[in-house]
Amino acid sequence: MKDVCKPKGHSHECDCGKECFNVVGDRAVIDLRLSPTQPMHYTTLNCVMRKAMRQGCLSIELKGAMGQRYLASTASIPGLYIAVHGTPGNDLGAFLNGPTIEVFGNAQDMTGNTMNSGRIIVHGNAWDVTGLAARGGQILVQGDTGYRVGIHMKEFGGSRPTMVIGGTAKDYLGEYMAGGTILVLGLGGGAPVGRSLGAGMHGGRIFVRGKVSPEQLGPGAAISPLNADDEKEVRTLLEEFRKAFGIDVQDDLNDYVKVAPSSSRPFSGYYDKTNV
Amino acid sequence: MIDRTDREGRTDRLGRPVRAENYTASRPPGWQGQPGGCGIASCISLKGEKIGGDRIARMLTIMEERENGLGAGYACYGLFPERHDQYCLQFFFDDEEGKCNVENFLDGRLDVLHDERVFTRDRSTISPPYPIVWRYFANVPNAREWRGERDLGEEDYMVEIVQHINEKIPEAFCVSSGKDMAVFKGNGYSYEIAELYDLARYSGTMWLSHSRFPTNSPAWWAGAHPLSLLDWGVCHNGEITSYGVNRKLVEMNGYKCTVLTDTEVVTYLWDLLVRRNQLPIEVAAFAMAPSTFQEIALLPPAERRLAEWLRITYKEAFLNGPFSIIVGRSQPNISLIALADRKKLRPMIAGLSPDEGVAYCASEESAIRIVEPDARTWAPGAGNPFIAVAGKGIVRRGTEPSFQGVNL
Repeated sequence: MKDVCKPKGHSHECDCGKECFNVVGDRAVIDLRLSPTQPMHYTTLNCVMRKAMRQGCLSIELKGAMGQRYLASTASIPGLYIAVHGTPGNDLGAFLNGPTIEVFGNAQDMTGNTMNSGRIIVHGNAWDVTGLAARGGQILVQGDTGYRVGIHMKEFGGSRPTMVIGGTAKDYLGEYMAGGTILVLGLGGGAPVGRSLGAGMHGGRIFVRGKVSPEQLGPGAAISPLNADDEKEVRTLLEEFRKAFGIDVQDDLNDYVKVAPSSSRPFSGYYDKTNV
Repeated sequence: MIDRTDREGRTDRLGRPVRAENYTASRPPGWQGQPGGCGIASCISLKGEKIGGDRIARMLTIMEERENGLGAGYACYGLFPERHDQYCLQFFFDDEEGKCNVENFLDGRLDVLHDERVFTRDRSTISPPYPIVWRYFANVPNAREWRGERDLGEEDYMVEIVQHINEKIPEAFCVSSGKDMAVFKGNGYSYEIAELYDLARYSGTMWLSHSRFPTNSPAWWAGAHPLSLLDWGVCHNGEITSYGVNRKLVEMNGYKCTVLTDTEVVTYLWDLLVRRNQLPIEVAAFAMAPSTFQEIALLPPAERRLAEWLRITYKEAFLNGPFSIIVGRSQPNISLIALADRKKLRPMIAGLSPDEGVAYCASEESAIRIVEPDARTWAPGAGNPFIAVAGKGIVRRGTEPSFQGVNL
């Protein structure tokens, strides 16, 4: 049986009184490698992280992450910086609201689930369903992603999520997308995007560096030319990608394809043929 | 009367109380059968070297969030080098009577060369009752007869024997029946099952493992994964919504569904398509997770004909619904197959050790990293099989275009 800190009732912090992390100035270091077989449980870890945040730490470093889920979920301190060494688990930064998370390794599935604001930078791959339902903030992935990335991203008022994928994305990228921007660079070769691209999208935009054939488009998505605002946005995102990873990407905008909704209601009349 | 209720004071890893009813070899009463869904992990030594059981246990237990203590299991291949030509039948018995029933039945039908108790610890946090776990090493006799048929192949005969036991013989269940392999499973958390069987005492060329989070089928010992027939072992995460159609196909081909879960049908499909119908492994995978007709229409002519032929001929082998599976076999070579459904609605990550000696497949990357921190990882595609063979290496990474280099 694991030695687990248990938050009581609706409280999100335990009161065990144990020293579970080192603080130097405003910087907390948490080592998750309790033993070779049993890394720290995610319940304990998130409890420890909330303690560190409450004590006013502005920088948290996690060492030896090994599949711990929900890391920094709902963290809401704007200037907070969280460095993750190792492999964080599913739902990294779910409902993130302000902080910056930098992962030195690969992220698993559902990174940035429904994030509100803040940044997630992954120096590696981020697999399936990255950035699902994001409502704001930014996700930068240096390597590849998997299936159903950026599904149901949305924007409202001043919130507009952006995502840059250095490598490739697979099928159903931006499915049901309602807002925000996805940029796929396809560095490292291979088809930059898969099939059913932007299926059912009715808002937002997907920029792909490389070729997109009409067979790859899902229903409701269409290829359209880049306008002046698009060009400006792509250049801004490329600059942010360069700053995060030190990788320069040629910004000849003739290489980019824009995929946008063909209408604001792609499935109008789909179920009720009389209602068009 | 067996006490089937959990011990007082049993808790999960967060200290929350757990109470459940437990079944071993007998099917839970009133259970009619429906699909269920989990964490899967596997490793194979590409050089044919030995991997310890503690390694696979570490891979599986790190994904504890994927299980709820209602079933876990491990399959080891390349386990009996000194008896690798004999069938190893491993059983759950409710009691001594079940053991007698099976031994009476096997008498004269198989040449049993050796039998032994499978080591299990006396004490465990898993609630009683525990089954008796026993294994028999046997050969199929040359003069064999099953219901008047004298020319059944060795393996077909073995299938009949195993399925008869599981269907008809009370208080007994055959959990694995292949050469050079065995299944270790039960109704508990992954770490409980690893402790119960003391997996560290075993080592083999390949391991499959599964931790269960049953969604719509009950938890009982024989129903835990891997589900096995002959040397096939299948671990499955997800749900096969086409269960009814797939079940009809295997039943029409003589298989008896005795576990009543969707995974059992997947096991029989691999046996039917690859062993009996002799499809290459990747072709069987394409039959189970086929492309859509729109995608097939875009293939080059020769590949398109093959894809259409497969979809039409094996339409009842199409596994619909979200799944990722890990499949193992020991004949003719120890092989690992990993496959996700055609939209990849369940996760699957593959990895290779830096010295390229061990290949891994698992639901989560952390399962690979905990034992191989510097592994190279990649994600096999939707409906695109990963295949690795001991002694040969990785035959298919699962990222190649479908049907590339596939011939029939």
